[in-house]
Amino acid sequence: MKPAAFEYHAPDTVEEALGLLEAHGDQAKVLAGGQSLVPLMNMRLARPAVIVDINRIHALDHLTPDGDALRVGALCRQRSAERSAIVAARCPLLHAALQLVGHVQIRNRGTVVGSLAHADPAAELTAVLAALGGTVTAVGPDGTRTIPADEFFVSYLTTSLDPRELLTEARFPTLPEDAGWSWMEIARRHGDFALAGVGVVLAVRRGRIAEARIGLTGVGPTPMRAVRTERALAGRAPADALWTEAADAVREEIDPEGDIHASAEYRRHVAGVLTRRALAEACARTAKAA
Amino acid sequence: MKLEGTNTLAAPIETVWKMINDPDALRRCTPGLKELKEIEPDHYEATLNVGIAAVKGTYKGTLTISDKRAPSHYMLVLEGSGGTGFMKGVGLVDLEPQGEGTLLKWTGDMQIGGLIAGVGQRMLGGVGKMLIGQFFKCLEQHLGEDV
Repeated sequence: MKPAAFEYHAPDTVEEALGLLEAHGDQAKVLAGGQSLVPLMNMRLARPAVIVDINRIHALDHLTPDGDALRVGALCRQRSAERSAIVAARCPLLHAALQLVGHVQIRNRGTVVGSLAHADPAAELTAVLAALGGTVTAVGPDGTRTIPADEFFVSYLTTSLDPRELLTEARFPTLPEDAGWSWMEIARRHGDFALAGVGVVLAVRRGRIAEARIGLTGVGPTPMRAVRTERALAGRAPADALWTEAADAVREEIDPEGDIHASAEYRRHVAGVLTRRALAEACARTAKAA
Repeated sequence: MKLEGTNTLAAPIETVWKMINDPDALRRCTPGLKELKEIEPDHYEATLNVGIAAVKGTYKGTLTISDKRAPSHYMLVLEGSGGTGFMKGVGLVDLEPQGEGTLLKWTGDMQIGGLIAGVGQRMLGGVGKMLIGQFFKCLEQHLGEDV
């Protein structure tokens, strides 16, 4: 379990890092927490020629509220975000999902933005970003650009990031104060990647659903928003029967793959059950907030 | 692992048949293909560099086309191995005319073993489907160009 030989760089500034990425292109990989990259390298499934370690770029280690969003820098560890009072208060869906990312030891090193960049199809944080309609910020040779979640995730482990670009931060929109939330997932063992997972945000005003957001993980090549189901919920009165209806709508909307861990039918079924439970839990939390 | 799918191609069945037998078209459209050497008709030596993102492996092996029933059916056998594992795939391709175009149906049975199968199990089916999808999309784009 040793990686193939690679060249190691530890730049102190974003500009220096960009210079290295520009020089080495897709031969280089950025190292932040390394909780996905390093195991892949040790198993020699990934053999990047160059590693650009960004851990010395202290400017990227931030977690700050900014208007109606939370800015999470590329060096912010998952565990720091999980233990942050600001995240718990302003973005409880992210707080809930973070607790199920791998294990504590992984979260101590792993970064929020690193998980987004890795784009595992069963990751929690990618689905949270998708559900909330968040964005990531990339800097590259052509300057800075903001990429919405639905344009960022392209396929399995694949994003629209250029190899010469560096992700500097992610922006997670904060929840309206009266909104409820829920994160639910099923994994074979605690800490495993989810067979299916769902994040829900629900706002109920004057007895009607004013806003519903549903993000799913583990049911396709990328995290997905159940847009049609969200639309079907808008304006309706919250009720148990409606959550069951939404579960069926989500099952219609997804097209999961099967593998040795779970068949496609099982994933489809579970995604529906989780959606129903998550909507009920989110709804109960709106009531409490109101 | 069993995979299947259908594609509708906007060309007559004879054109599609020629294309899926043309080494140049195979060379151009097989995702990650580095080298395709014709040993004898319908028998090739292939080197592929396939995978996703930073997880790529190089596989060396053979590609054989057999059971030909022009212009509607053949069987394709792909065997290869490399540092990260081995694969063996058997694909059946059936063509039938559909209006002006051609309906292409494929089924595949893939065995993937070694390290990549142990670690990548969750994504193999989806990635396999995606790569095969890329192959047919590429064929479609080149249809009628120089077949």
